[in-house]
Amino acid sequence: MSRFFRGGDDSSTDSSSEEEEVYTSEEEEEKVQAEDESSSEEESDEEESDEESSSDEEEGAKKKGASRFLQSDDEESEEEEDEQSDDEATTKVKSAKDKRFDELESTISQIQNGQKINDWSLIATEFDKLNRQVVKLQDGSKAPKSYIKAIADLEDYMNETLAKQKVTPKKMNATNARGLNAVKQRIRKNNKDYQTQIDAYRKDSDAFMESDDEVAAPKVVSKVRFEAPVVSAEQQEEDDKGFSTVDSRGKVVQYTPESILKHLRAIIESRGKKNTDRLEQIKVMETLNKVVPITPYQKIRVLQTLISARFDLGAGGAAQMPLDQWKAAERDLASLLEILEKEKDHVVVEGAEEWDDDDHLPTIPEGEKYLKVPGSVVSLIERLDDELTRSLQAIDPHTSEYIDRLTDEGSLYNIIFRGLLYYEHLRKDASLEVPQESLNRIIQRRLDHVYYKPAQVVKILEENAWKQVSAEADSEITPRSQSGDAGKLINILSNYLFENSEGIIRARAMLCQIYFLALHDEYYKSRDLMLTSHLQETIANFDIATQILYNRTLVQVGLCAFRKGLVYDAQNTLQEICGSGRQKELLAQGVMIQRYSQVTPEQERLEKQRQLPFHMHINLELLECVYLTCSMLLEIPLLAQTGSSPDVKKRIISKTYRRMLEYHERQIFTGPPENTRDHVMQASKALAAGEWKKATDFIHSIKIWDLMPNTEDIKTMLAKQIQEEGLRTYLFTYAPFYDTLAIATLSSMFELDSRKVSAVVSKMISHEELAAALDQVTETVIFRKGVELSRLQSLALTLSDKASSLIETNERTLEQKTQGSANAFSRKDNRGGGQRGGGQRGGRGGARTGGNPQRQAGGTQFTGGALGNAVRG
Amino acid sequence: MASTSPATNGDAAPANYDLVLKLAPHLDRHMIFPLLEFNAGRLKEDETDKAREILAAKYALLKKTNMTDYVANLYCELEGLKEPPAEYAERRQKVFHQLEKYEQETAKITELLQRDDVVNNLRSDKVANLEFLKKEHDVTIDMVNALYDFGQLQYSCGNYADASELLYRFRVLSTDNDKVSYATWGRLACEILSMSWESAMEELQKVRESIDTRLANNPLAQLQHRTQLVHWALFPLFNYDKAREPLLDLFFNAGFINTIQANSPWILRYLTVAVITNRGRAKNAGVQQKQMKDIVRIVKQEAYEYQDPVTRFVHALCIDFDFEEAQHQLVLAEEVLRSDFFLLAHADDFVDSARHLIFESYCKIHARISLKDLSARLGLNNDDAEKWIVNLIRDTRLDAKIDYKEGTVVMNHPPSSVYQQVIERTKGGFFRTQVLTAAVAR
Repeated sequence: MSRFFRGGDDSSTDSSSEEEEVYTSEEEEEKVQAEDESSSEEESDEEESDEESSSDEEEGAKKKGASRFLQSDDEESEEEEDEQSDDEATTKVKSAKDKRFDELESTISQIQNGQKINDWSLIATEFDKLNRQVVKLQDGSKAPKSYIKAIADLEDYMNETLAKQKVTPKKMNATNARGLNAVKQRIRKNNKDYQTQIDAYRKDSDAFMESDDEVAAPKVVSKVRFEAPVVSAEQQEEDDKGFSTVDSRGKVVQYTPESILKHLRAIIESRGKKNTDRLEQIKVMETLNKVVPITPYQKIRVLQTLISARFDLGAGGAAQMPLDQWKAAERDLASLLEILEKEKDHVVVEGAEEWDDDDHLPTIPEGEKYLKVPGSVVSLIERLDDELTRSLQAIDPHTSEYIDRLTDEGSLYNIIFRGLLYYEHLRKDASLEVPQESLNRIIQRRLDHVYYKPAQVVKILEENAWKQVSAEADSEITPRSQSGDAGKLINILSNYLFENSEGIIRARAMLCQIYFLALHDEYYKSRDLMLTSHLQETIANFDIATQILYNRTLVQVGLCAFRKGLVYDAQNTLQEICGSGRQKELLAQGVMIQRYSQVTPEQERLEKQRQLPFHMHINLELLECVYLTCSMLLEIPLLAQTGSSPDVKKRIISKTYRRMLEYHERQIFTGPPENTRDHVMQASKALAAGEWKKATDFIHSIKIWDLMPNTEDIKTMLAKQIQEEGLRTYLFTYAPFYDTLAIATLSSMFELDSRKVSAVVSKMISHEELAAALDQVTETVIFRKGVELSRLQSLALTLSDKASSLIETNERTLEQKTQGSANAFSRKDNRGGGQRGGGQRGGRGGARTGGNPQRQAGGTQFTGGALGNAVRG
Repeated sequence: MASTSPATNGDAAPANYDLVLKLAPHLDRHMIFPLLEFNAGRLKEDETDKAREILAAKYALLKKTNMTDYVANLYCELEGLKEPPAEYAERRQKVFHQLEKYEQETAKITELLQRDDVVNNLRSDKVANLEFLKKEHDVTIDMVNALYDFGQLQYSCGNYADASELLYRFRVLSTDNDKVSYATWGRLACEILSMSWESAMEELQKVRESIDTRLANNPLAQLQHRTQLVHWALFPLFNYDKAREPLLDLFFNAGFINTIQANSPWILRYLTVAVITNRGRAKNAGVQQKQMKDIVRIVKQEAYEYQDPVTRFVHALCIDFDFEEAQHQLVLAEEVLRSDFFLLAHADDFVDSARHLIFESYCKIHARISLKDLSARLGLNNDDAEKWIVNLIRDTRLDAKIDYKEGTVVMNHPPSSVYQQVIERTKGGFFRTQVLTAAVAR
C-alpha cells in the first residue's frame, strides 16, 4: 500500500504508533469511513486502526503525558464493543472509561435536576461541562447515547420553556434568563452536529437507546455519505501516486467545482491539529487548484489555504521550510497576486466576514463594488520573507547552496513589490478601509530588502520588479520613473514610513535610511540624520531587532567616517560597539558563548533566531581593523603625551586597544605579523618609536583593506594620518631632550611640507599641548625650560583636581536627588537638550546609549513621542 | 511674505559668494529691493545684459506690490516704452480707491485714538479697552480689523511710516493673537524699511518673544520663523551700532544658533564678520572671547555645508593655524565684503580686526618674529608696521619687545605658574560648597 511510502517521509513523528499516524490527515473523513460498508475488508481494517489513532490523538491533545497512553488504551477497549477487537483490552482500562461515563451520567442527572427546578444557570454550566466530557467519549461522529438523549431532551425542554416564557407575564430572574439564552444559543449549534442521532432518538427513543452499535452505524451513514467523496478522492490520489492501481472502491474523481470549498473547509478545520499530514493536504489542494477553480473566489480561497498550509510545514521548532515548498509557496503567492490584479472586483482584506460558502458560491452583494475575501496578503508575504531568512540562517554561508538560495531573494522582492502595488490599489478606495498599517508593513519589508545593498544591486532588483508587472502599472509611492535611483527610492520609502507610521516602524525607517546613506559615503547626511533622530536616547526602549539595526547603522556610520578620513569621529562612533568586545552579539552576526552566565535553551533559541543571514553581515574583521587603526592613531600620540607630562590626566580612549597593546608588549619574542591585530600592534609600536614609515608599511600590508572601495585612497589617507600623528608623537616623546628643533629637520624627517609642520606645531602650542614657541627668524621650535613639575607640584595639582571633581559629584548627586528642582547649579554648559536639534552635532557624534540586546531584553515598549524631536531645529 | 527668488546672477569671483539668492526667500519683497538696487549699482557700464536682468528681477519683485507708479516706470524701462500701459493707470486708480475706502473706515478710530480723553481712559487690559470703546464710542471689531488691512495696504504701497503707525494702533486694540503677531512682523518690516532702528529693535524683541512662547510646541514653525527673523535682523545688525550686541546675543542663543546651523548656514558669514569686527568694541571681553570660540566651533562644524572666504579665513587661522592661508583668505574676504550689501560698510573694519586677530595668535605661538616678514604679512611698509605693532603692544598689553638692531619682535611667554593653576582650580570651591549646603538645608 502506498501508505508505507508515505510513512517514509513522515519520519519525524514521535508517537509510538507510527503506522497509524500516517493516515491522520484524513482523520475527519476517516472517522466516517469506518462505517462505510462498501469498503473492502482490508481497507476497513486499516481505517479502524486509523480511527483509533485519531481518537487517540484527540485524547492526546487534551491530556498530556502518561495519561495519553492510558487513554489510548481506553479508546481501543471502548471500540472493542462495536468493532473488531484488538487484543489489548484490560480491566484497568475499563474502569477509566466507566468513570467517564459515570461522570457523564451525573452531569446529565444534574441537568435533569436543573430542569425540574427550572434553574437555567445550573443547566448552562452543566451543559458546558457535558459538552466537554462528551468530546472525550466520542467515537467517530457518534456520541454516547445517553448524551444524545440528554441533549435531545434538553432541547425539547428548552423549547417548552421558551414557549412558556412568551405566555407567562412573570419574568425570569436575570441569571436564569442569561443561562437560558446561553443554552439556547449553544444547543442549536451543538445539536446540529448530532442531528441524525437526535432524529433517530426522537423517532423512537426506546429503540434508539437499546439498539446496539451495529444498528447505529448505518444510521449515521447517511451523513457520512456526504463527506465520503473527499476521502475516496484522496484515496485515489494516493493510489495513483503509489501504484497507479485502480482504486479498490472504483470511484471516480469527485473534484467538482461545487465541492472544492467543502474540501477546503475540511482541510482548514484539520489545520493545526496534531499529526495531520500536511504534505498530504497540500497535495490535495494542489490537485484542487489544478483541476478546478472556476470562479476567482474559489481560486483565491484555494491559493490562500494552500499557501498557509505550506507555511505550516515550516512551523514549530527550528526546522525551516523545505526548499521546494518555499518555491511553490512563492509561485502560489505570485499567482494569487496575479488573480487579484486581474479580478479587480475581488479583494482580499483583513477583517472581512467569512462567507458561508458550503452550499452556494458567494456573489458580489448588492450595492457593493467588491467581493471581500477574508485574509491578509501582507501576512503571507511577511511569512514568505521570514521563511527565506530562516532558511538562509540555517544554510552554511560558504556553500554554493547559500548562493543558490540567495537568488530566491529576487523573486521574493518581486512578490513584495507586487504586494505593495496591490495594497496601493486597495488604498485608493477608501470604502475598503484598508488599514495604513498593512501598507506600512509591506513598505517596511521592501525597505528591509534594499537598505543594506549597494545602489547598483538595488537598481537591478528594481528593474526586475518593474519588468514583471504590466507596463501601465505604476506605483504612487514609488513611481516608476524614480526607480532607477536607489538613493531616491530609499528616501521615498523611508520618508513615507516616517510620515505615516509611528513607533518602531518609524524608527526602523530612519535607521534604514541612515544605513544606506552611510553605506554610500554620505557621511554628513547620515550623521546629521542620526543626530536629529534622537534615537540614541530612546533606542533602549525598542525591541531587540531594532536595537540590532541601530547597532548596525552605528557601525556603518563609523566606517563611513573612516572612509572619509575622519579618524576621530570614526573611532568615537565605533567605540561603543567595538570597544565592548561583543561585536558579534551586538550585530547579531554570531552567537557568543558566554562562560559565566546561564543561558537557558529558550534564550539561546531566540538568540539564534535573531541572527542575520550571512549576506547582510558587516565584515567583522574589517571592522576590527578600522577600529584598531583609528584607536592607534589617537592613542599613540596620547600615550606619548601622558608619558612625558605626569600632570595630564590619564585619559584612555579605547580600553580594548590598550589591553591589546599591553599584551603585545609583554610578549618576549614577536614574530612577523600574521593577522590584522598583529599588524596594527606592530605598527603602533613603530609609530610610538617615531618610525612612521615602518608603521605605514605595516598598516598597508593589511590585506583586508582590499574589501573597501577605493583601497588606494584609503591607504594614502592613512599614510598621511600616520605621518602627522608620527610627528606629534615624536614631539611629545622627545621634547624634553631638546632645546630647539629646526622645522626643516622635522620636515625632512617626516617628509612633510615645512608649512604643514609649522601648522601642526602651532596647533599643538596653541592648544597648550606643547610648551614651546616658534622662532620665525631661524625657523626653529624653541622648547621652554622649567615646565617639568616637581613631585610636590604635580601632587598639588592632582589634589586640586580631585577637590573640584568632588564638589561636582556632590552637586550632581544633590541634583539627582531633588530631580533637578534645586537648579541652583544649572550652569550654562548643561542646557537642556530639548529643542536643540542640531545643537548636539558637536564634534563627538553625539552621546550614545548602548544598544545592548541582552540587557534590555525586557523592555520593548516604545515611548511614542521620542521621535517627535526629530523635526525640531 | 517671502517672494520667489529673483533671477540675479553673479559677475566676477566675489559674486560667486553672492548670497542674495539664498537670502531672498527669507526676506520680504520690500527688503529684497535694496539688495537688488545695490547689485545694480555695482554693475559696470558695459554690462547691459546684467543690468537688464536685474531690472527684470526688480519688476518681477514689485509687480505684486501696490507701488504702481514705480512698477509702471520699471515696466516702461524694461520694455522700452514711453508711456506705461493703461492697466497701470487702472491699477493705480484702484489702489487710490482702496486707500480712500480704508481711510474712511478707519477715520473714526484714528480720530478717537488721537483724542486725549479717550487715550487716557485706556488701560493695559485689551478686552476692557475694547469694551470701553464699544460702549462709549461705537467702535466695532471690524473697525479695528480695518486698521490692520489698511496698514497692509499702506505697506504694500511703500508708505512704511504710515503703515507702522496703523499697525501700532491695531495692536493696541486687537485681541486676535494671530493677527497681533502678524502685525508685529509687519511693524518690524516697516521699521526696518523706514530705517528707524530703535523701534525696529523693540519690535524684533517682541517677535522673538512671540516665537519663543507662542510657537513653543510647533518646532517646525518655530524654525521657520526664527530663520526669517535672523534674516531680517541683518538689517539692524549692520546698520545700527547699538543693535550689535543685543543682536549677537540673540544669534548666539541656543535656539537661534541651531536655526542658523540647520537651516541657513550662510548667515555664518555675517555672524563671523559681526563677531570679528566687534573685537575690542565690546564692553565685556569675556563675552567676546566666548563668541569667538563659538564661531570657530560652528565654522568648523559647518565646514562641509557652507564655506566662503570669511569662514575659510577663520578656519585657516583658528583651526589649522595656517597663517599664509589665512592671509590669502583675508584678501578674498575683503573682496567679498565689498560686494555684499550688508557688509560693504564694514569691510575696512573687518580687515583691521582680522589683522589684529592674525597677529594675536601669531604672537601667541611665536617667540621671535622678523619685523620685515611681519610687515609683509600685514601688507604694510616697515615703518608703518613698526608703528602698528607698537600701538598694538601698548593697546593689548602684550609682553613683547622690539629688537631694533635685529629687526625682530621678541615675545615673552611666561609659563603659567603651577601655584596659579592650583589657585584657579580651587577658586570657586568654597562658594559652590556654600550653595550646596544651602540647597541641602532647604
